Amino acid sequence: MGSLFRSEAMCLAQLFLQSGTAYECLSALGEKGLVQFRDLNQNVSSFQRKFVGEVKRCEELERILAYLVQEINRADIPLPEGETSPPAPPLKQVLEMQEQLQKLEVELREVTKNKEKLRKNLLELIEYTHMLRVTKTFLKRNVEFEPTYEEFPPLENDSLLDYSCMQRLGAKLGFVSGLINQGKVEAFEKMLWRVCKGYTIVTYAELDEPLEDPETGEVIKWYVFLISFWGEQIGHKVKKICDCYHCHVYPYPNTAEERKEIQEGLNTRIQDLYTVLHKTEDYLRQVLCKAAESVYSHVIQVKKMKAIYHMLNMCSFDVTNKCLIAEVWCPEADLHELRRALEEGSRESGATIPSFMNTIPTKETPPTLIRTNKFTEGFQNIVDAYGVGSYREVNPALFTIITFPFLFAVMFGDFGHGFVMFLFALLLVINENHPRLNQSQEIMRMFFNGRYILLLMGLFSVYTGLIYNDCFSKSVNLFGSGWNVSAMYSSSHALAEHRNMVLWNDTIVRRSRVLQLDPSVPGVFQGPYPLGIDPIWNLATNRLTFLNSFKMKMSVILGIIHMTFGVILGIFNHLHFRKKFNIYLVSVPELLFMLCIFGYLIFMIVYKWLVYSAETSRVAPSILIEFINMFLFPASETNGLYSGQEHVQRLLLVVTALSVPVLFLGKPLFLLWLHNGRSCFGVSRSGYTLIRKDSEEEVSLLGSQDIEEGNNQVEDGCREMTCEEFNFGEILMTQVIHSIEYCLGCISNTASYLRLWALSLAHAQLSDVLWTMLVRVGLRVDTTYGVLLLLPVIALFAVLTIFILLIMEGLSAFLHAIRLHWVEFQNKFYVGAGTKFVPFSFRLLSSKFVDDMA
Amino acid sequence: MLEGAELYFNVDHGYLEGLVRGCKASLLTQQDYINLVQCETLEDVKIHLQTTDYGNFLANQTNPLTVSKIDTEMRKKLCREFEYFRNHSLEPLSTFFTYMTCSYMIDNVILLMNGALQKKSVKEILVKCHPLGRFTEMEAVNIAETPSDLFNAVLVETPLAPFFQDCMSENTLDELNIELLRNKLYKSYLEAFYKFCKNHGDVTAEIMCPILEFEADRRAFIITLNSFGTELSKDDRETLYPTCGKLYPEGLRLLAQAEDFDQMRRVADHYGVYKPLFEAVGDGNGGKTLEDVFYEREVQMNVLAFNRQFHYGVFYAYTKLKEQEMRNIVWIAECISQRHRTKINSYIPIL
Repeated sequence: MGSLFRSEAMCLAQLFLQSGTAYECLSALGEKGLVQFRDLNQNVSSFQRKFVGEVKRCEELERILAYLVQEINRADIPLPEGETSPPAPPLKQVLEMQEQLQKLEVELREVTKNKEKLRKNLLELIEYTHMLRVTKTFLKRNVEFEPTYEEFPPLENDSLLDYSCMQRLGAKLGFVSGLINQGKVEAFEKMLWRVCKGYTIVTYAELDEPLEDPETGEVIKWYVFLISFWGEQIGHKVKKICDCYHCHVYPYPNTAEERKEIQEGLNTRIQDLYTVLHKTEDYLRQVLCKAAESVYSHVIQVKKMKAIYHMLNMCSFDVTNKCLIAEVWCPEADLHELRRALEEGSRESGATIPSFMNTIPTKETPPTLIRTNKFTEGFQNIVDAYGVGSYREVNPALFTIITFPFLFAVMFGDFGHGFVMFLFALLLVINENHPRLNQSQEIMRMFFNGRYILLLMGLFSVYTGLIYNDCFSKSVNLFGSGWNVSAMYSSSHALAEHRNMVLWNDTIVRRSRVLQLDPSVPGVFQGPYPLGIDPIWNLATNRLTFLNSFKMKMSVILGIIHMTFGVILGIFNHLHFRKKFNIYLVSVPELLFMLCIFGYLIFMIVYKWLVYSAETSRVAPSILIEFINMFLFPASETNGLYSGQEHVQRLLLVVTALSVPVLFLGKPLFLLWLHNGRSCFGVSRSGYTLIRKDSEEEVSLLGSQDIEEGNNQVEDGCREMTCEEFNFGEILMTQVIHSIEYCLGCISNTASYLRLWALSLAHAQLSDVLWTMLVRVGLRVDTTYGVLLLLPVIALFAVLTIFILLIMEGLSAFLHAIRLHWVEFQNKFYVGAGTKFVPFSFRLLSSKFVDDMA
Repeated sequence: MLEGAELYFNVDHGYLEGLVRGCKASLLTQQDYINLVQCETLEDVKIHLQTTDYGNFLANQTNPLTVSKIDTEMRKKLCREFEYFRNHSLEPLSTFFTYMTCSYMIDNVILLMNGALQKKSVKEILVKCHPLGRFTEMEAVNIAETPSDLFNAVLVETPLAPFFQDCMSENTLDELNIELLRNKLYKSYLEAFYKFCKNHGDVTAEIMCPILEFEADRRAFIITLNSFGTELSKDDRETLYPTCGKLYPEGLRLLAQAEDFDQMRRVADHYGVYKPLFEAVGDGNGGKTLEDVFYEREVQMNVLAFNRQFHYGVFYAYTKLKEQEMRNIVWIAECISQRHRTKINSYIPIL
C-alpha cells in the first residue's frame, strides 16, 4: 500500500561499465528491467553515435530474418514459438550467428531463384500448350466462317495451313498468337484496330482454367488470341503492341505436323520440369524447416541485441575509452538488485575489473514509478489517463479503488444488473490465465484489462441496489415492510382517536383511486425498514418524488465528502514537499470555504432528517429557502431550524468571507516576505549545495572527464538557480487564478455531483420502462398460449437488458464516474505533471515477431 | 461552382485534406537537413532517414546502397501516397488529380520517344519514367512516327488527348520536333489546367491560379533561355509560350523578341513579381542559377498554399514540395557519394 500511496523514491545512478563487459552488463539489466537510461548524447545525431555499426549489423540480421520468416510463411511451415525467451547472444556467438544466417540466406535465395525460374518456365510451357489447343479451334472456325479466306482460290483452301502459300499482293500473311490478361483485352483490341487500321484479324477465346501470372504470382483469367495480318510493317507494330500490353507471345506453328511435334515436345518437357520442380521444392522445404526451428529464438536474440546497442549509444565514453559511463534512474529499493546485476554481467564476461555504480545527487525531477499488480493496474490506468503523477505526489489511484466503483454504483444502483455484471467479471477473473482471453482483440481486451474494476463495480452495484431496493426495477420485500395498511381503517382505532386523523372506511377505499397512508396514525408506520428503501414505495404513486429528494440529498452529501477528502489529500502533499505555509495559506482557507458553506448544508440536511418526524413535518422549514436566506439576510424573521441559527450562519459567512482574501493573497505575500527577509529558506539551500559538492569530489576521483561533466552540471545548476528568479506578479497571478477557480469550482462541482442523482434516476426509469413495456405485457396474456409468448418476451427482455441497461447505461455511468474523479476530485490536489518510469527491459520488446516482421 | 465551399467541402474531401496536411507535417525539417549534410556515407543517410517519416523504406534493399535506389524508393513512396489520395477522391478532385498526373505523363511520353529515337530498348527507359505518369499505352509510343500518328494510335484514349489539338502535324519526329511537341503539349496542358481551376472558382482558384500562372511564366522564361543560339525562330518560339501567365500578352511578345539574357532580364523588370527573382540570380560563378531561384519561389508559393483551407491546391502543393524534398535528398546523396562536398549546401530549403 505504501508504494501505491506515493510513487517510489528514485535516485540517479552513474554506471561505470568496463568497455569489455558493457554488453553483458546491459544484457543482465535488460533481463531484470530495473533502470531507465538517460540519453547522454542528445546532441549527437543518430548516425554519429559509437555503436552505430553494431546497430547496422543488427538491422542486417533483422532483414535476413524477415526474409526467412516471409519465405517460411509462404511455404506454410508452422513457426514454433519458444516458451522461454532466450537471453541476448554472447558477443562471440554473434559472428557465428551472422555467418550462419548469411549462408542460409544465400542458399535460400539461390534455391528460390531456381525454383521461380523453373516455375516460370513451367508456366510458360503450360501456357503454350493451352494456346496451341485453343488456336487449333480458331483456325477451323476461320476456315468455316471467315469471309476473308474465301478470296483465296479454292485450290489453296485445302492447304490453308501452308504458310508459304498465303501470298497476296506481295505481302505475307503472318500470325502472332499468345495469351493476354483478361482485363486488357478490350484496350488491346482497340489499339490494334487503331494502329493497323483494320488490316488485322483478331480472334480470341477465354481460357477455361485460370493460370498464375508469372510476374505477380496472382491467379487470373487469361485470353488466348490469334492475330493474322499482312505485311512486315504491320507485323512489327503488332509485336510492339503485344509488348506494350505484356502479352505472352509464343511462336505460331504453321503446319499441322509442326503443331503436333511441338505439342509432343512440350508435353515431355513439362513432365521433366514437374519432376525437377518437385525435387527443388522438397529441398527448399527441408531447408526452411531447419531454419524454422531456430528462427524464433534468433529474432528475439537480435531484438535484444539491438536494444542493448541502442542503450549503449546513450552512454558516454570517458577519456581513456576504457570505460562507458551511463546515467540511469533507478528506484532506491532496487539499488542492490542493480549492483548484483552488474556483478553478474561482469562475472559472465570474465572481466578483471568489475563494473560498478554510484549514486549521484541531482536536482532534476525523477520519473514516476508506481508499482502495480494485476488488481491495482486498472485503477492506476484510469488515473494515468488523466496525467502521470508528479514525482512523490499523493497518488489518487489508491482511493480510486474504492471511490470509483462506489460512485459508479450510485449511478448504476440495481441489484440484478449489478449481479450480472459481477458474474461476468468473476468469469473473467477466474479464467484470467486462459490463453484465448490473453490474446483477445479490441473490445474484449478492454473488458479483460478492466476485469477487476468491473468486479468491484458489480459488487458495489449489488450493494447500492440493495439500498435502493431495486432488482430489475422491482423491489424485494426481504424483511417485511414497515408500513401497515390495515391500520389506516377506522375500525382498527378507538373512536377517541378519530378526531384529527383522516381514516379510511370501505366507501372511501372503493371510491378514490389514490389514497395516502398517514404515518402519524398510530400503527401505520412501525419503524424503518432494516436495509435500504422500504419496498412499499414500489407501489406508491409518489415514489419518484420521494426517491428524488432522497437521491439528490445523497449525491450532494457524497460529493462534498469526496471533494473535502481531495482537499485534505492536498495537505499530505504540502507536508511531504515541506511547504507547510501552503497548509495554512491554501489548504485551510480552502477547507473553511468549503465546509462553512457546503458542510453547513450537509449539517442542515442531516439535522432536518433527525429532528423532524411525521407529526412535525408540516412545520419543517425548506432547506433550500434556509440556505438561500443564509446569504440574503431577509428582513422578516422565519422560524428556522433551531434557535440561534441566525448567529451561527452569520459567523459561518464571516469565516467564509475572511478565508477568501487569505486564499487570494496569503501565499504570494508570504513568499514575498520570505524573499525579502531571506530567513530560514536560504540557509537550507546553501546546505544542500555543500552536500552536492562533497559528493562531486568523490565522483571526480574516478576520471578527468567526469570533472568536466561535473562542472557542466554545476554550471547547469547555477543557471537553474538564477532562472528561479522571484517573480511576484507571476506568483500572484497563478494564485489568483487558482483561487477563483477553486471558489467557483466549489459551487459548480457540487452541482456536478448531482449527476449521481440524474443517472441513477435515468437508470431506474429505463429499467422500469423495459419492465412495463415487455414483461408486464407478456404476463398479462393469461390464455394457455401465453406461456409460449413469454419465451420470446423474456428473451427480448434479456437482450435489451444486457445491451441497453448493462452495456450502454454501464458505459455512460462509467464515463461519468471517470469525470467525477478526474475533474471534481483530482483537481483539488493532483498535479499529474510527471513522466512515467520506462525501464530498459526486454519484456517490453514485443514478443510477437510474426506481426511486425511480416 | 456555388459559393461557400467551406460548408460542404469536408463532406467529400475533408478526409483527404486532413490526410495531406498530416503528410505535409512529415516533410523533413531544417534540422533534418543539417543532419543529412553531415553524413559521411549513404548508409548514414539511410540511418538518418529512418528516424524521419520515411521510416525503414530502405530496409529491404541489399547492399551496396546507391543514389538511384534511394531515388526510386522515395518515388515509390510518394506514388503510394498519391495513389491512395487518388483512389479515395471524388469528383471534381479526381479530375484535379488527373490533371496533376498529366504533366508527368507528358514527360514520360517524350522520354520514351527520345529513347526510341536513340534506339534504346523500351525497358531500359521505362525504369527512368516517373511512376506518377505511368499508363498502359505508354510503352507503345514508339510505334508512332508523326505526332498525328501518335495521337490517333496511342494517346487518343488517354487524358493527354485533348492537348493534342494544336500539334497535329505530319512532321517526322526528330529531336527538335519532339522538343517542340513537348512544349506545345505542355502549353495546352497548362492552359487547360488553368481553365479548370478558374472554372472551379472558390479558394481553389485563388490558390491554384497564381501557382499555375507562375508555372506558365517560368516555362516561358526557360524556353526563351534555352532557345538562345538554336535554330528556333522567334515566331515559333512565341507559339510555345503558355498564355495563362502574368506575362500574357505583352510580356510574351517582348520575350519573343529577346535575344540574350540581358534583354530577358529587362522584360522581367516590368513585372514586380519577377524582378526580385532575376535580381537574386548570381552571375557566372558561385551565385544561384535562374532555375534555383524559380524553385525557391515555387516552394514558397506551395508552402503558402497550406495557409488556406477547403481547396485542392494543398494536394498539388504537397506533391510539389515532396518532389522538391526528393530532389534535395538526391542532391545531398549525390554530393556525398561523389565526395563533392563543397556544393552540398545548395539544396532548396523547404520552409
